[in-house]
Amino acid sequence: MTDFEERLLSALKDDIAGRKADPVVQPPARRGRTRRAVGLAAAVAGVAAATVVAMNVYGGSAAPAFAVTRNADGSVEVRISEFRDPGELTAKLAAAGVTAVVDYLPADQTCKKPRGGHGAGDGRAENSFLAGANGTGIVFRIDKGQVAAGQTLVLAVSVSQADKPPTAVSLEVVKGAVAPCEATALNLPPATDSTGTSEKTDGAVGGG
Amino acid sequence: MRLNEDPEAFEAFYRRHVDGVMRFVVRRVSDPHLAADLTADIFLAALDSGHTYRPGRGSETGWLYGVARNVVSAQYRRTAREAKATSRVAGRRLMDDHDLDRMEERIDAERQMRRALKAMGDLPEGERAVLELVAIDQLTVKEAAVALGINGVTARVRLHRARRALEDVASSSAVYVEGQA
Repeated sequence: MTDFEERLLSALKDDIAGRKADPVVQPPARRGRTRRAVGLAAAVAGVAAATVVAMNVYGGSAAPAFAVTRNADGSVEVRISEFRDPGELTAKLAAAGVTAVVDYLPADQTCKKPRGGHGAGDGRAENSFLAGANGTGIVFRIDKGQVAAGQTLVLAVSVSQADKPPTAVSLEVVKGAVAPCEATALNLPPATDSTGTSEKTDGAVGGG
Repeated sequence: MRLNEDPEAFEAFYRRHVDGVMRFVVRRVSDPHLAADLTADIFLAALDSGHTYRPGRGSETGWLYGVARNVVSAQYRRTAREAKATSRVAGRRLMDDHDLDRMEERIDAERQMRRALKAMGDLPEGERAVLELVAIDQLTVKEAAVALGINGVTARVRLHRARRALEDVASSSAVYVEGQA
């Protein structure tokens, strides 16, 4: 069920959901627009003040770096628009019931694998990954039960700047203790090498 | 059709067409990553232009293949890097090693069709477009007409001309080869 066609379907459905959500909640991808909206609201006093307050409650003066949403089906959706505050993201995930370890590394580095033992399967997380609507950021979903008790979601993102698209994203589910991230060179296969997709480059941004 | 508002309607639509769309793509590109990107782009484009579909004006298939043609020919006009920057869903990032193998198998299976498409390269654009959709992608003439935004009679005439032109090419080259032997 988790082949390319199914993953694409779920990514496209997320896109539909994103369209619906757009006018109501400002997703991270619309960061630029949100900021502009805040500026406009601030300039126009009176009624607009309410808007400013609402937005401040939602995201402070700038849009949040990430959003963790619990869906009705028990899955947890994670949107990361800026790769900063990994500790805060870990805390948010914990609050949503997902034990996680998050590391942000320079664009040419990743964490040495494996980070720990794997349960059933090879620890590979078959999540639907998609880029944010503006090409930066990532969105993924953790299905209910995917990270069971005693397991940890281990996320490592290789990225040059907090608000730039990552060069690689690695996601695995580790059973038991998680080794600290030991930075190692990221070997991105050449874009034309169709056989070079190793687990090190899971979710690597092609052509980047 | 409210494809872009109703996830269930979209899922049904997707399942009806995903195989056909992937075949359409691998008949035109031989890079598996690009094929994944284009497949994603075609469905995104279908979501974006769902409002242009008129149920009364011909089949869903014809409409979707029109969208697919636009996406693939737009791809030829720019580099893969530019294409990546504009896509909301990067198809290649949804593929694992197993999917990559399957995509390569699909590409292999369509080698002959890609050669046939190449052979049509010299035909006038309008005629080639109809022949492509009918002979390569197995659309009906009516569906091809919808895909290309032309009427059925025009499509039929162009198809006829294209076939005749190809027959001429085929027979003359056959003679040439025999003469060489």
